[in-house]
Parts: sequence; C-alpha cells; structure tokens
Amino acid sequence: MTDLFTWLPRGDLLGNILSTLLLGAGTTLMLTAASFVVALTLGFVLALMRRSPWLPLSAIARIYLEIFRNIPILTQLFILYFGLARLGITLPATVAAVLGFGLNGAAILSEVFRASINAVDRGQNEAALAIGMTPVRSFWSIILPQAFPIAIPSVGNFLVGLLKDTSLASAAAVPELAFRARMLVSETYLTSEIYLTVALIYLFLSLPIAHLAKRAERRSLPQRAA
Amino acid sequence: MSALELWNEIHLELLAAALASIKLALGALTIGLVLGLFLALARLSGKGWLWRATGIYIEIFRGTPALMQLFIIYFGLAAIGITFSSLQAAIIGLGLNASAYLSEVFRAGIQAVPKGQTEAALAIGMTRTQVMVWIVLPQAVRVMLAPAGNIAISLLKDTSVASLIAAPDLMLRAQDLSSQYFQPLEIYLIVGAMYFVLCFPLSLLVRAVEPDR
Repeated sequence: MTDLFTWLPRGDLLGNILSTLLLGAGTTLMLTAASFVVALTLGFVLALMRRSPWLPLSAIARIYLEIFRNIPILTQLFILYFGLARLGITLPATVAAVLGFGLNGAAILSEVFRASINAVDRGQNEAALAIGMTPVRSFWSIILPQAFPIAIPSVGNFLVGLLKDTSLASAAAVPELAFRARMLVSETYLTSEIYLTVALIYLFLSLPIAHLAKRAERRSLPQRAA
Repeated sequence: MSALELWNEIHLELLAAALASIKLALGALTIGLVLGLFLALARLSGKGWLWRATGIYIEIFRGTPALMQLFIIYFGLAAIGITFSSLQAAIIGLGLNASAYLSEVFRAGIQAVPKGQTEAALAIGMTRTQVMVWIVLPQAVRVMLAPAGNIAISLLKDTSVASLIAAPDLMLRAQDLSSQYFQPLEIYLIVGAMYFVLCFPLSLLVRAVEPDR
C-alpha cells in the first residue's frame, strides 16, 4: 500500500513517516465519510419519526436521542467493539467504528434536521395545503428544500466534530491517522514531532469544512433577518 | 456472573472513578471558564494582533482532536523534558480545549448586549473595566448559560478520552475492570448508564435555561 506514495522520498525515515501518516489520513477520511452517510440517513429517519403524530414512534426517536447524546462516544465504541464480541458478535474494528460514529451522529443530526424543519415558516406549509397539495407533498417539495440550507452550517460543524472524533477509533485499533501515529511513535520515539504533524494534518482537513460552514452561516443570516 | 452480581462487586470502585471523572471535568471547566473569558475579552479588545492571535488559538484547538491535544501535552511535552502526570495533562488539555469553545460563547454573549448599554455606562463616568464587570457581563450571562452548559456536558463526556492517556477516570477503571472480570459488555453498559445518569439531568437543566423555546 505504501507504493501509493512513490512521489515521496523513499527509503528514509521522513518519507516513511509521511507516507504512513498520509495512508492513515486516507483511512480517517473514509471512516468519516462512511459514518457521515450512516448518520445522515438514520438521522433523517429519526427526524421524521420525531414528527410522527403516532406517539410510540416519536417517543422511540426521543429516547434514542437522549441515550446517544448523554453517553460518551468512546463508551459507545467500546460497547460495540469489546462488548458485543463477548456475545459472539465480533465486528471488524472498522465496521464497529462506522456503526458507532454513525449511530451517535444520527442522534445529533436528527436534532439538527428537526430544528431546521421547524425553522421553516409555518405559512409555507399552510399556503401549500391551501393550493391543494397533500401534507406529504408539501413536506417534500415545499418544506424540505427550504430546511436544507438552514441545516447546512450545523451539519458542517457536525462533520468537523465527526472528523476529529474518528481519532477515538484508534483505541479499537482502526488503522486511521491517530492509530498510525501511535504506532510510528512507538517505533521511532519521535513523539512530539509526529503528534504535532498529525495535529497539523487534522487541522488541514477540518479547517476547510469549518470555513465552508461559517460561510454558509453568514450567507443565511440576512435571509433570516428579512 | 450476572450484571447485578457484577454491579454489587464493583460498584464502589466505579462510583469512586465517577467521582474522579467529575473532579477532572470540574478542574478542566475552571481552566476553560477563566481562560475562555480572557480569550473573549482579548478578542474583543479592538487590537488587531490580539484578535488574530486569539483567533489562531481558537482555530487550532477546535480544529484538532482532543485526543491529539492530550497526546501532545502528555507524551509530546514529556519527550522534550516537560513532564506532567496523566491527571495534570488531562486537566490542562481538556481545559485548554474547552477554553477555545467557551471563548466563542462568551464573545457571542458579550456582543449580544446592545451597544447602548456600554455607551450609557461610559457616559455616566464608569471605566471600561467597570462597564464590562457591572453592566455587560451580567446581561451577557443570560445568553451564555445554555451554550456554556452544553459545553460543560461535552466536557464531562470528553473526560472519557483522558482514559487513553491513562488518567484515572471512569472509563479507565472500566477498562481495568473489564480485563479483570472478562465481562466487557456488562461493564461498559453499566458505565454508559452511569455517564447517562450524570449527563441527562444536566441536559434537562440546560434545556430549562434555554432562552427561546
């Protein structure tokens, strides 16, 4: 796999360290992306459940939210990875991590989606119903398209948090950036150099997302004031 | 061993560890609140270089994982001769991390107080410091309470990350116990429930003080 980075100086320590870290950064990005997809999908379903007039359905979504929001993500990961293994359900570390971050992120995003949907002016729905749309049609073609831009800044902030949180998967030996760094440190003892480099890589990955989220936020502000 | 028997055997250790987590969170929160307030004041001081310097601090601490910050403070600084105990490193690291988030909450809160308040207080002869302490901050607190509470809850949950530098907290004790009893599922579920019991009432409290709902 290190052959991917043939353009780096080979055979020397620096080249090895950098190519290993870049490999880890790739895994971090894939882990983040996969967890993000799970969180988006399940989060949206949970937000729909919260809107359900049928109480058990909205109650389940509510309980799900409170449980996942009030327990550390590290504990959730350990339950999935080390805990389930004892029941004979051995998930590969990467799968457990995607599941853990996805289930946890779904709770956070369900709140984001719910708030964004609620932020759309009620008159929009009333007008859509008045011109003869069904409630379902109004929700999908009138409410959701307007809720989408409202959600973007919060979803961006969530994504930054998710990217950083994937570093916790190193505790379950997922070969992402933080894990590769720990391995490299135990091989080379270049402790501060490696961890500082890794921090810079995380910064390099997260700042663009944070920046885009901030820009989306600023763009949506005058809209809301009007 | 059933979960109940297990609980009977290890609950004293777990409760002591939960107390250690709370102390760790309170220590870090104290650093976060004090440093966060100074950062916010520096950011609003009107001096360009202070604004930039605090901005860089905030971006760095919010843009990198808390785990990496702990690793740098605990392992990285030790490699260049500055040694902390794992508990000290955890309090410092989580405190610095929280200060970056709290400073933005403080800044937003201070900016939410109408300018006329400051102008009126200056007009009746108060100094800038007096205006901040007696006029602006008391009004800003109302706006800050809910977001700062959410950060405090995150901080309490994040103390679990400190277990990865072996700081004595609930999660570290859980890892020790699960390698001792070989019942990781039960132990991590119990510990998860303990975190829930700590955090859920705080979440309800935060929601109660949220301004517009």
